Amino acid sequence: MLRFLIIRILQALPVIFVVISATFFLVRSAPGGPFDQEKVVIPEVKKALEAQYRLDLPLHEQYFAYLGDLAQGDLGPSFKYPGRSVNEILFSGLPVTAELGLYALMIALVIGMTAGVFASLKPNTAQDYVPMSLAMIGICMPSFLLGPLLVLIFGIGLDWLPITGWGDIPGDKILPSITLGSAYAAYIARLSRAGMLEILSQDYIRTARAKGLPEWRVVTQHALRGGLIPVIAFLGPAFAGLLAGSFVVETIFQIPGLGRFYVQAAFNRDYTMILGTTVFLSTLIVFFNLVSDVVAAWLNPRLRDQFKAGAGS
Amino acid sequence: MNDTAAVFDNAEQGSSLWHDAWIRLSKNKLAVFGGGVLLFMIVVALLTPWIAPYSYETQNLDLGATPPSAAHWLGTDIFGRDLLTQIMYGGRISLAVGFIATAVALLIGVTWGAIAGYVGGRVDAVMMRLVDILYALPFMIFIVLLMVVFGRNILLLFLAIGAVEWLTMARIMRSQVQSLRQQEFVEAAVSVGLSPAAIIRKHVVPNALGPIIVYTTLTIPSVMLLEAFLSFLGLGIQPPATSWGLLISYGAETMEEYPWLLIFPGCALTLTLFSLNFLGDGLRDALDVRGSKD
Amino acid sequence: MALLDVNNLSVSFVTRNGTNKAVDNVSFSVEARQITAIIGESGSGKSVSCYAMLGLVPSPPGRIDGGTARFQGQDLLALSEAELRAIRGRDIAMIFQDPMTCLNPFMKIGDQLIEPLTLHKGLAKNAARERAVALLDEVGIRDPQAAVNAYPHEFSGGMRQRVMIAMALINEPKLLIADEPTTALDVTIQAQILKLIAELQTKRDIGVLFISHDLAVVSDIADNIVVMEQGKVVETGTPADIFERAQHPYTQKLLSAIPSGQKSTGAQQAEPLIRINQLKTWFTPTGNATPVKAVDDVTLEIHRGEVLGLVGESGSGKSTLGRSILRLVPITGGSIDFDGTSLSSLSGNSLKQFRHRMQMIFQDPYASLNPRMTVYDTLAEPLLLHGLVRKADLDQSIRELMDNVGLARNFVRKYPHEFSGGQRQRIAIGRALATRPEFIVADEPVSALDVTIQAQILDLLADLTKEYGLTMLFISHDLAVIRQIADRIAVMYHGKLVEQGATTEVFNAPREAYTQSLLAAIPGVHAA
Repeated sequence: MLRFLIIRILQALPVIFVVISATFFLVRSAPGGPFDQEKVVIPEVKKALEAQYRLDLPLHEQYFAYLGDLAQGDLGPSFKYPGRSVNEILFSGLPVTAELGLYALMIALVIGMTAGVFASLKPNTAQDYVPMSLAMIGICMPSFLLGPLLVLIFGIGLDWLPITGWGDIPGDKILPSITLGSAYAAYIARLSRAGMLEILSQDYIRTARAKGLPEWRVVTQHALRGGLIPVIAFLGPAFAGLLAGSFVVETIFQIPGLGRFYVQAAFNRDYTMILGTTVFLSTLIVFFNLVSDVVAAWLNPRLRDQFKAGAGS
Repeated sequence: MNDTAAVFDNAEQGSSLWHDAWIRLSKNKLAVFGGGVLLFMIVVALLTPWIAPYSYETQNLDLGATPPSAAHWLGTDIFGRDLLTQIMYGGRISLAVGFIATAVALLIGVTWGAIAGYVGGRVDAVMMRLVDILYALPFMIFIVLLMVVFGRNILLLFLAIGAVEWLTMARIMRSQVQSLRQQEFVEAAVSVGLSPAAIIRKHVVPNALGPIIVYTTLTIPSVMLLEAFLSFLGLGIQPPATSWGLLISYGAETMEEYPWLLIFPGCALTLTLFSLNFLGDGLRDALDVRGSKD
Repeated sequence: MALLDVNNLSVSFVTRNGTNKAVDNVSFSVEARQITAIIGESGSGKSVSCYAMLGLVPSPPGRIDGGTARFQGQDLLALSEAELRAIRGRDIAMIFQDPMTCLNPFMKIGDQLIEPLTLHKGLAKNAARERAVALLDEVGIRDPQAAVNAYPHEFSGGMRQRVMIAMALINEPKLLIADEPTTALDVTIQAQILKLIAELQTKRDIGVLFISHDLAVVSDIADNIVVMEQGKVVETGTPADIFERAQHPYTQKLLSAIPSGQKSTGAQQAEPLIRINQLKTWFTPTGNATPVKAVDDVTLEIHRGEVLGLVGESGSGKSTLGRSILRLVPITGGSIDFDGTSLSSLSGNSLKQFRHRMQMIFQDPYASLNPRMTVYDTLAEPLLLHGLVRKADLDQSIRELMDNVGLARNFVRKYPHEFSGGQRQRIAIGRALATRPEFIVADEPVSALDVTIQAQILDLLADLTKEYGLTMLFISHDLAVIRQIADRIAVMYHGKLVEQGATTEVFNAPREAYTQSLLAAIPGVHAA
């Protein structure tokens, strides 16, 4: 198992490397510099700033210098906000986005798995159609539509819940979390249902029933283990999606999180900020994909043994 | 020996698997509904320049935003432009992006997957390793980056989205081709003496089409969502062009005073996505059953 | 009073396409301490009857229309689900056909074994574990202590079936229902499992209801046989009654379908058509260092006009050998000569030119036909490819082929899924014959078919071999079939050729130990 883990980590490293390099050269090759839009800057000041941001060095030297900084965990200074480093800004937004993501994920998992498993127990009946129709709505209504709608109904219309900020007013975390989590609840519901249906049609479920097990035990002890593996495997991509979704949700609800900073940096052409955030988020995503892959494989005893025997991936 | 023309006159007509699937599909009410709505949307989009009630640029600044009325069925936006017209033109773009980007992904993905799946061995290993690496890249972030850096070129938008979606298509095609290659009727075709090209053409591709069709139908809504997402953030379609995503973002800004500006484009998008998903689900159910085995 | 007494049981399935009466007024009984076998082909309703009794048939679309099933006096059909559940796994236990899929792959063997104990007898985990270990020992699992902590995928098919039996018997039930328990197993393993079931039955004094399609298999162990056809019971009796005095035409048909007799070995051997010399076909799965030696150093000759029976169990390499000869898999070493030409060194176009002289018939009649091609297309393909007929004569040739394999002409535009298994195999045979080959490899051509259909197809193959002067390599795991159709036999084990010789010689005086154990495992003392 350890070997499998190490192999997967080694496979992830080149990916991260590619991400960093690609982002670096992409950003640097963008037309125009960070200061072009600003008001006119005196040449000497401009030179000094360029030196500070290493823009006066040839490109490949900038690249290696950047890698060096990265190795030390330094993401560089921000273009837009001189005096503040990217690290600083990132880590101020990180806890907020992390919390939002966590709540959204919890909502998605709890609602999604419950609905999906519930629907799979009586396929093609009302118990199935109702949750799955709701799930379809969740998939077809993007967060940037759902969010404003929820705001319209609950925030403005009924005035039950606050519609901006995070942690300022009690209850202001509810709408954003629901908005972000809904689409994923829908995907997870569909995945769990499909996974459970597949497992419930297996021969060993019939064996369990033949032993006299009550249906609830058949489902919890025998079916769930296999049926939820697709959900676990989905968590990696779900994480990436949640992160992307946070861009929109944080913009709509004006939450000072990473996503919002990223979008703003994109508009402001704050290159070090873009670069730093991309690298950070990408590494996080790659890491999460790795974890979800490994856990999903580990849950299947057959695969577990295969990897113990060292048969590569 | 003279009755060659009449040899098979009494032959009963067989019912091919496509035919069976079609019948199954037509019994699925949701799928039929989805297909119908989709067709309607496509026809409207194609005919828009001729059937839109107002011209695209017509503004009426004195009028400003008004709720639905007889003159403007869906109301007007803050520039006095007819919302129905805006939605129709926006639909053209949104649907076009959806179909074209999916077509790009389909072309690249299917070819890549078919080659990797059929040739196998080292070639397959290399090709799929590339797919794996690309798959692990966080694409959302890259697309945002691309859009920022290279400006908001609609062509680039197609390519960027296509570049994300072809990966899964390739994987599906490859696994289909691989499993088909091991099927005995392909072995039989080899034993009969057919060339690899003929085998792929006559035996592999027709049998691999099922999942590809399903997946394509389900990719289109995914692509449309992606375009809407980018446009919402301001990184996708740029004015003076419009798309449903853009319209929704405008609507969200002014939703307190003019909720219809958010609701109608939202409905249009959601309805189309529903239709595509229902149709895709229906296709999946219809094509999945291979007929009874003995 | 009988242990189980089923009277006028009727079960239907209600689907969108109509109502299907799967079990129609069926009556049979199982005495305590006896083995009753239910025999039937697919669609006979043999399994559904038993599942319905235990409430294991999903209730839509299944529906019990009537009848009683008295177990120790109680009518199972009148019990509530909770009461039935108490009986399942405690008083009546079941084992199923496919040991590979019947155990939960995500749970340890021990955990699965103790479930009936903890559930029905309320035993504590430790006490239950001890019982589990004891039972594993009883069914012949080596090192039961370790086995308890293992997962199903670590065991072979035969071992898993033993685990299933242990799990069924752990609560000391009065009745064991076995649904085709040996059908998915190799012949030698089948013999072991049958012996085990018979031993356990006597030792523990239980009644057994044994469901099968194979009369030969049950003739050895059953006290009582019930024959079912299309949902009805057509005959019952002791094995002697059935085999010697069968009344019903269906029973007689089943009996005559059992492959019997030995092919009289023809005249002198003609010269060899195919010479195989030290053939090796090895597979190296990616990432593994050790290759799988599917065919390991096989030297063999196949004579013109003969049917060579290639026998072996799963993993013996017999299918790979057939495919290697036909160059459907890459050869690792050695040589193959076909009528003087070195087949193993041909490639590309020259190989393609050669192909029409040798063809193959596959095991799974559905998988071997392109589901999107009609009968016409499938038969036309080889004809057109090798330029054997002109376009104008195509229809005629196809008609002849269909006549020869016994397919009704007006089915020519139908698709594979519209045919039954036997008919599909006829199409496959037609395709193989289209190019007028000299040599045909038949890889388990009847194993996937019902017994009565098997007999028809075997007869067809025998006739066609004579008529077309074919040389055939007939691959099978079923010795009775081989004995009926083959002139000579070759036995394979783990990739190596163990023994070969004329059919009569090998069957009457096998030299090698493995061959002897294979022959000893053939079921059906009565059948011969």
